[in-house]
Amino acid sequence: MTAPLETPTIVEPDIDETVDVARPWVVVVWNDPVNLMSYVVYVFQKLFGYSKEKATKLMLDVHHKGKAAVSSGNREQAETDVSRLHAHGLWATMERD
Amino acid sequence: MARTPFRRNRAAGFDVVLEAGEAAVLTRLCEELTTLLADDEPGDEPAPAADPVLERLFPRAYLDPTEEEAESEWQRLVHGDLVDGRRRALATVEGTLAGAQLRRGRYELTLSGEQAQAWLAVLNDARLALGTRLEVTEDMDLSGLDPDDPDTAPFAVYWWLGVLEEALIDVLSRSS
Repeated sequence: MTAPLETPTIVEPDIDETVDVARPWVVVVWNDPVNLMSYVVYVFQKLFGYSKEKATKLMLDVHHKGKAAVSSGNREQAETDVSRLHAHGLWATMERD
Repeated sequence: MARTPFRRNRAAGFDVVLEAGEAAVLTRLCEELTTLLADDEPGDEPAPAADPVLERLFPRAYLDPTEEEAESEWQRLVHGDLVDGRRRALATVEGTLAGAQLRRGRYELTLSGEQAQAWLAVLNDARLALGTRLEVTEDMDLSGLDPDDPDTAPFAVYWWLGVLEEALIDVLSRSS
């Protein structure tokens, strides 16, 4: 008989499981005193194809909580979304999730 | 402004009716924004003094100071395009205003869907610029101001821009 196999050593991959590795960047829209609520809803629908309900909920989060995460993706995708939001006058930034 | 300044027409565009004074104010705001953007030439050395309006129109993408290199690279890539987009929208609004027909003391013009988007962008940019200059807050009640009072006239213009933009968003939302 063959010798018993050595117990394999299981190496835990070094991954922070709280981060979705495919979408590590989130785009955040911040509240500002100028932009109209209806305009913010309109821009969220236009840029991201969100339903009126989802766009309205995000706008209300921005208004009441001061900010809302509106999209996520890799760095390039997040940079693209930020520049589109800036082109529409929304105050947006990106950060690691 | 009791009447509706924007109406959807049968040609998949929009009919616009403005009082002569309204058209004049919009034209002046376009000129001011165009001048402001002309001061923001990319590659200017040294960098022009920070203008709060330009900072509001062109904010940072990265808040994290350790991402300064990525921020500079992103600015280098997109800033010129963002400026050009705003200039094109301004040129569209100025062009359509210049082509307006004067009828019974009011200016009438029509907009394609694309031109209406340029109007929305410019109305919003004008509010951002004016609101930033005036340091408006969410709690200010600006309705009912006297547009002829020099102290409150800019606030009245800001409030009127909001009414106009709201009307345009309303007609755009219903037609999409």
